[in-house]
Amino acid sequence: MSGASLATGTTPGTAIAANAAMRERRQALWRAARRVLLPVLTAALALAAWEWGARASGVSAMVLVPPSAVWSVLANSWPILLEHTLVTLREVTAGFLLAAGGGIALGTLLTASTRIRQTIQPLVVFFQLIPKIALAPLFIVWLGVGPSSRLAFVLFIAFFPVAVSTAAGLMSAERNALLLCRSLTATGWQTFHSVRFPYAVPHIFAGLKICATVAMIGQVVGEFVTAQQGLGYIVMFASAAAETALVFAAVTLLCGLGLLLYGVVAVAEWLVLRWFGAPISSSQF
Amino acid sequence: MSETALALPVAAPARRGWRVGEWGWAIGLPVGFTLVLLALWQAAADLSGIPTVLLPSPLAVLRRAAEVWPELLDNARYTGLEAVLSFLIASLLGVAVAAALSASERLREALYPNLVLFQLIPKIALAPLFVLWLGIGSASRLTFAVFVSFFPVAIATLAGLASADGNALRLCRSLNARGWQTFLAVRVPYSLPFLFSGLKVAATMAFIGVVVGEFISARAGLGYYILFASSRADTPGILAAIGMLCLLGLALYGLIALGEQAARRWWRGG
Repeated sequence: MSGASLATGTTPGTAIAANAAMRERRQALWRAARRVLLPVLTAALALAAWEWGARASGVSAMVLVPPSAVWSVLANSWPILLEHTLVTLREVTAGFLLAAGGGIALGTLLTASTRIRQTIQPLVVFFQLIPKIALAPLFIVWLGVGPSSRLAFVLFIAFFPVAVSTAAGLMSAERNALLLCRSLTATGWQTFHSVRFPYAVPHIFAGLKICATVAMIGQVVGEFVTAQQGLGYIVMFASAAAETALVFAAVTLLCGLGLLLYGVVAVAEWLVLRWFGAPISSSQF
Repeated sequence: MSETALALPVAAPARRGWRVGEWGWAIGLPVGFTLVLLALWQAAADLSGIPTVLLPSPLAVLRRAAEVWPELLDNARYTGLEAVLSFLIASLLGVAVAAALSASERLREALYPNLVLFQLIPKIALAPLFVLWLGIGSASRLTFAVFVSFFPVAIATLAGLASADGNALRLCRSLNARGWQTFLAVRVPYSLPFLFSGLKVAATMAFIGVVVGEFISARAGLGYYILFASSRADTPGILAAIGMLCLLGLALYGLIALGEQAARRWWRGG
């Protein structure tokens, strides 16, 4: 590359520089392609091995079902699967949104004053740590087997990661930036809006990503124990009937939903980060 | 928001005389708040006339826990053993896989995105399949809990091993350190905070895995006890079992936190 500036004007020099640039670009392209192709090839290879193993081993399709059988179940009974997918998607989205909103609100409240934080934070961390999944049957006792009990359960288990990471994010603001705000006599709201919140954005989104995965877990476990409708119900029902291909079809759709929810959060993070800009680094002070 | 939020982190360290008072607040406030919540709960359960099935008072839960204590302890032993065992297996596997991936760039490129994919999908949904494959014994619950808790450890450790300071790595190279020397002296210490945060996630996930497994298949364990109690509408029993589960979960978490302190001190000293 540096050759380009030295040899401008002379034809061979330009050609060499262009060659070098092209080689470099090719290498970069190859690196990028490798980064995509290698994992995809590995996954394809694993699937192929699974398919071949399931056929060659002669193990019954009840135990080891080949991917092609899962695909044919997906293709043949998609209307009913789609119906249950939509139920799960609707419920998990509602739960996720409520948990995200409540978590960000509580996380913000936690940083409002030191006394409030000291009062509530240990409890929030405690709830963050305990295996909340075990409370699923209790929600049935309280709210029955309908969607409201699943919604409450999803909200309950997906709420804490967001609250904890929002609070951590709001506390993570650069000290110098806060001092600057103070010497500029910024109001509390101005400091929050232009310093604390931008610093918290990456933390909040880290919490939201956990929230998305945990909300899916809550939804599935809720559907396991209430067994009314949804993909979790299909998994439960099909595994009781030893229809392994159907189990895998439903699990595949669940994975798709999980990735979709995560993807939406990731895209939102990208948009918000572009909107607020990256946090100011301390070296700029 | 406002003045306090802005002023405290800046001003607090200056007032030395307040230290003891600060500790008092930091411990007194959450304990007091928890006690107030429990008292409100007790009062609500006693005075509102809501049946015990729906809202058992904390004292009723304690009484129930005392009544069924031997049974609870027995079930807790199953759950605790299975969760700890699967946590240990998942941690060892996770660290081993992360070390292998950090050693080879090709391997990392091929497997890392797939690991992340598995980290993201709701693996819990596969629980019934493990029952189908491995039966309703401990083996299926152990395997499932390992499967659920393995990925956080592997991914966090890998991120930690990759986080080593570039200058430290260059120093190692210029001192002609061998691969394993660099690994032990630089990469491992840098990875410790990541490793332990992965282990903490894995501890919670191991309990989740075992309890969900017990929901589906078990004949013993706290998950089984919870399901059994809920089918008898024995809400105090459910809450007693959940309390037991929380104690187990917090104990494992506490052990990991202690391990983290010890590991950090050791690496700093050595």
